[in-house]
Amino acid sequence: MANENGKKDARPLLNILHEVQEQHGYISEHMLKQIAVEQGIPIARLYGVVKFYTMFHTEPQGKYMIEICGSPSCVLNNGMRLEKFLENEIGAGIGETSKDGMFSLYKVSCIGCCDEAPAMLINGEPHTKMTVERLRLVLAKLREAEAKKADEGKKK
Amino acid sequence: MQILRQTNLEALEKARALGPEGVIALLGKRGLEGRGGAAYPTAKKWKACRDTPSDERFVVCNADEGEPGTFKDKLIIRHNAETLVEGILVAAYAVGAKRCFIYLRGEYDYLRPRLQEQIDDVLARAKMEGVTIEIVRGAGAYICGEATALLQSIMGFRGNAMAKPPNPTTQGLWGKPTVINNVETLACAAQAVLFDDWDPTLRLFSISGNVKNPGVYEFPLGVKMSTIIDVARPEKKLKAMSFGCFGGIMPVDENMLVTPETICMEKCQHGAYSIIFIDETNNVVDVAYSIAKFYTYESCGKCTPCREGTIRMLNLLKKVRTGKAVRKDLELLRELATHVQDTALCGLGQTCGNHILTSLEHFPKDYEAYMKK
Repeated sequence: MANENGKKDARPLLNILHEVQEQHGYISEHMLKQIAVEQGIPIARLYGVVKFYTMFHTEPQGKYMIEICGSPSCVLNNGMRLEKFLENEIGAGIGETSKDGMFSLYKVSCIGCCDEAPAMLINGEPHTKMTVERLRLVLAKLREAEAKKADEGKKK
Repeated sequence: MQILRQTNLEALEKARALGPEGVIALLGKRGLEGRGGAAYPTAKKWKACRDTPSDERFVVCNADEGEPGTFKDKLIIRHNAETLVEGILVAAYAVGAKRCFIYLRGEYDYLRPRLQEQIDDVLARAKMEGVTIEIVRGAGAYICGEATALLQSIMGFRGNAMAKPPNPTTQGLWGKPTVINNVETLACAAQAVLFDDWDPTLRLFSISGNVKNPGVYEFPLGVKMSTIIDVARPEKKLKAMSFGCFGGIMPVDENMLVTPETICMEKCQHGAYSIIFIDETNNVVDVAYSIAKFYTYESCGKCTPCREGTIRMLNLLKKVRTGKAVRKDLELLRELATHVQDTALCGLGQTCGNHILTSLEHFPKDYEAYMKK
């Protein structure tokens, strides 16, 4: 089994990448270079790892990451309707970010919420038994919270 | 539910009294088999790891439950994580490992903070010198549920599946003997060591789809399908059932006794007992299409039959769904699915045509409905 640069005593690389992404929103070229030096991994190999895992992003993402579940259980429970609604509502397709930078939309394989279908993850938190109505409310709340934050930012 | 019984560190205590070999012998006697799908005897796996000469060994808990329609390990992590952690410690004690990992899928990251607390708590109480349990955070790759890909991922590589042998049990993480068991297996290991009345025939079933009562249920092997349907309560007449994605789409047979053999026959690997029910308002081709999308998305791309085959199967299904397919296309689809299964490297590729072969066989009318007139 190949283990060149797969360091045994180092912290798991995936955990390091997750933490960098949580802090910066994505893994930039600059960060890639820094991790490569710190971990002693060739940057080409590191880039290959980052690109393999769908949860890592090398481009800036929206403030809220919406991951719609595409499992058969969700599809059988009107999951497709949510997908169409979301695309219209935020004005971005699967794999895209809305113009206002609020939402990035992704479709993922199965998030393991099949007993509460249809489901999606919003910034990693499960939202289950979703309907168009409930989704509308969730989006409105998120937009409201962001607007409030922006207002407070201005006052300071 | 048997799976929710707590062991309160008494399993570990009993393990210490029995000694490593005694624990392995007991698990063999109790008849614990792997619950990830392959049903390999756990005692045999642990013994092979223990018997391989090495200065270091590892235990890995596979919490990368990614098979669509499967959510039973989530139930264990949520409601009986202490017993799971204890199972890991029992395994570490039995094989002589110090460093243990839990590979938690990224989609379950919201379970991580509490799981970490429970790991810390159990470790503090267990007082096993030098033993650590580290959570490795998966990042959205179904293939990492496959043992060799999972090990690559822990070591910080792309999660590519590797040809076996060597088996991870003798040559796993950093070339050292490594036990990999999934969540349900390890929780069961703690319970099987401690409880004399532990029942090896009980399995966790993940039930979902067009039913009123989806959820995780515990049934004995050989349970009649009608019993499961009674509990699941479909609202409309059922047409088909899909065993996860890899098990294929089958007609509903109420008299079927659910065992690994009846779920998969000789056609595929044993399942993790996930059933997605599909009612008569749906066309099976649409479900097959969503499964084909899944495989195309999740193929790791290492071997050609799977990388290319999944894309072409999806394209052919797309052709069917848009009414552009002719009979020859269905033949091509069948041929392609068979070919990919016969030539792919790992379990993903070897099962990625099941939904197509089974749906073509059992639901020709659904295809017919889409065919070019």
